[in-house]
Amino acid sequence: MNAPPLSLLTIILDTNPHAWALLTPTLPLSAAIANLLVFINAHLAFNNSNKVAIIASHTQRAEFLYPVPSQDDSLQANGSAHNGAQNDLDGDAKMVDSDEGSGTAAGDDANHYRPFRHIQTILLSAISKLYKTTSSESLTPTTSIAGALTLALTYINKQSIALSTTTSSKTNADTFVAPSDPNLIQPATLNPRILILSVSGDLAHQYIPIMNTIFACQRLTIPIDICKIAGDSVFLQQASDATHGTYIALTHPRGLLQYLMLGFLPDQSSRKYLVPPTAVGVDFRAACFCHRKVVDVGFVCSICLSSKSGLSTVLCWNYSVRRRKAPHV
Amino acid sequence: MSASSLRSFEYLEGLPGTTFNRLYKQPSTALAIFRRMLPHLAKSFVMALLYISHPMPVTDLEAWVRPDGRRERDNAVSLLERLHILAAATNPGKPRAYALTNPFAASLRLALTGGGNHNSFGVPYNLSEEDTMSVADLDEFARRQWEGVLGYMVGSTGMNVASEGVTLSQGVKILLASGALVEARGKTVDITKDGFAFILQEVNAQVWTMLILYLQNAESLNMDEVDVLAFLFMLGSLELGLPYSKANFSQTQANMLEDLGDFGIVYQASPDSSYFYPTRLATTLTSDAGGLRSSSFASTADNNRGFIVIETNYRVYAYTSSNLQIAILQLFARLITRYPNMVAGKVTRESIRRAVSMGITSDQIISYLTTHAHPQMAKNQPVLPPTVVDQIRLWQLEGDRMKATVGFLFKDFNTQAEFEAPCRYAEEIGVLVWKHEGQRKFFVTRHEQVAAYLRNKSGKGG
Repeated sequence: MNAPPLSLLTIILDTNPHAWALLTPTLPLSAAIANLLVFINAHLAFNNSNKVAIIASHTQRAEFLYPVPSQDDSLQANGSAHNGAQNDLDGDAKMVDSDEGSGTAAGDDANHYRPFRHIQTILLSAISKLYKTTSSESLTPTTSIAGALTLALTYINKQSIALSTTTSSKTNADTFVAPSDPNLIQPATLNPRILILSVSGDLAHQYIPIMNTIFACQRLTIPIDICKIAGDSVFLQQASDATHGTYIALTHPRGLLQYLMLGFLPDQSSRKYLVPPTAVGVDFRAACFCHRKVVDVGFVCSICLSSKSGLSTVLCWNYSVRRRKAPHV
Repeated sequence: MSASSLRSFEYLEGLPGTTFNRLYKQPSTALAIFRRMLPHLAKSFVMALLYISHPMPVTDLEAWVRPDGRRERDNAVSLLERLHILAAATNPGKPRAYALTNPFAASLRLALTGGGNHNSFGVPYNLSEEDTMSVADLDEFARRQWEGVLGYMVGSTGMNVASEGVTLSQGVKILLASGALVEARGKTVDITKDGFAFILQEVNAQVWTMLILYLQNAESLNMDEVDVLAFLFMLGSLELGLPYSKANFSQTQANMLEDLGDFGIVYQASPDSSYFYPTRLATTLTSDAGGLRSSSFASTADNNRGFIVIETNYRVYAYTSSNLQIAILQLFARLITRYPNMVAGKVTRESIRRAVSMGITSDQIISYLTTHAHPQMAKNQPVLPPTVVDQIRLWQLEGDRMKATVGFLFKDFNTQAEFEAPCRYAEEIGVLVWKHEGQRKFFVTRHEQVAAYLRNKSGKGG
């Protein structure tokens, strides 16, 4: 018996209002979300036990859009009753993926598959809440991808632990012990992957945290797929390249849905048979550690492995350098 | 892909194209077939083609799949074509191109986006809090009904299974008989070979087998096949623990509800009530993860999937108090002691021989023991002790020493030469099974050519 694997898709949606405002003539946010919902439904339709999580990477913070963290205590009680699988001994915030309140209110529509409609209601309300709480002074042209990636990794970790405790025996408690040999395929019960819908460029100031999450994903064999709707950023290309994900820069943002369906829907087990639609050239440039800018020619410190834009910055960078009065670059 | 879905496949593939057309009009059916019946790669193809406005050239699809995945691709495409989901269109002047067939594509799109006015995902019924059934109650109901059906079948072997107050309707009994799972002999019923195979399957597979039997009988009950299938797929898309309204149901569907209630697939307080609950048997119909906790309740009342321990000395310990499970176990093991929560016994040559003579195969026994192995046992690799597995197979082989071949015997040849010529001819064309030089006899599987040869020869001679 060869049951298709359960796959967990974590979507990071770049919700930077600036960037979406610029995109309005070709692809307004509402249309993008409608497309995204169809894509999520398609993912869930693949298998009954497929899971999804959506994280907003906003201007200055990252937030869960689905499942939403429960706020008050009464909801929390409901949440724990529903997700008995999740271990809440560690005092983590519980994630509610079913809300009793709107269940009956929206329950009269018999033309929509219930789980699909359920995600739609939660996602839409979470997004509108997110934009309501956004103040004009918090607007920056960038987005906190690093934070969102970290949230995604924690969620994936939590789900895999929950899964291995519910499925009996056989699998180890931690299914995500990184395989030392990349060819060795773990009998992982959960097939996680991350999809980033990115609209804003210029992430150089988050260089270090982003690269750290990328390496974490690489070790855990979690592919990061990048759907670049607008802007261009060096590090996301590297992210998909390092984790064997798919990178597609959209030439026609209007056709977002088709890009999603063709390029990002197949999960790891189907990708074995498919030719990935990924771009050939990858921009491997790094960012200067002190100026936070992408550099064409960089210098790497042989001791701390930090990269810099020029020799002149070295002396003010490293204390030991100053002490020894000899630049070690 | 589990055996059950394969079985439903075969059934579906046999349906005519017009039936598919009508079937795919319901979004819930399109979604269920997509989810349950298609292999993984085929799903990717369908989704890639779903929102494309023009057909995808065959060469493009071929280029998308890696060269080493060609076999999987061909499998997926041919299956999609057999299920009338994908069609290759040839337009003059254009290359051959694949496109999804229309009622299917439109329905699947509707299922994904919602909307329309088809009500195929069930109309929830508003019920006050205190009237609702808990999930545990529904599980208990489903378990009792389903075990009742199994108990009826097993009970016929002479082992006394208390039916726990479940009375089977006449319809269920007729269905079991028509599917050749049981045979009526006067007042008693006897379980058949197929029946044993059925009992040793896992629950989800059992339910599907039963439903397909139901479908095959639908015509004789004056029910529309498409209506029945669409209803079943709709049941699979409902949510456990919610009441649903019966308001818009056709007569066929209302009748079906009653029948399905006998199996424990749906629950309704009374045939006249205006709502029903799907049980876990229904809601897991279209989910294919066999390891779901859903299938667990079937084994025993306690939520424990595996309960059997078998040792290398052929001793069997089963942690169960369910009469049904004990009766099933008794089919192939000699039970010695019974404790409140456990029975102990032994697999012996006699017990296996008896099972084989009833039509149970050793593979069925082994797969039953494997799927119901105690978690402690399931950690072993392989799960069952190899000596026991081999011995069970050998015990079955004991009975298979004779092999019957249907054929024709040629004898009474006058001379040795007269015998040898046709005998050699038969050997050349590969139909000879046995020959005896001294008695001048030989045995063939097909006689036409040999007879013609003989006639030809005697014609020449005379």
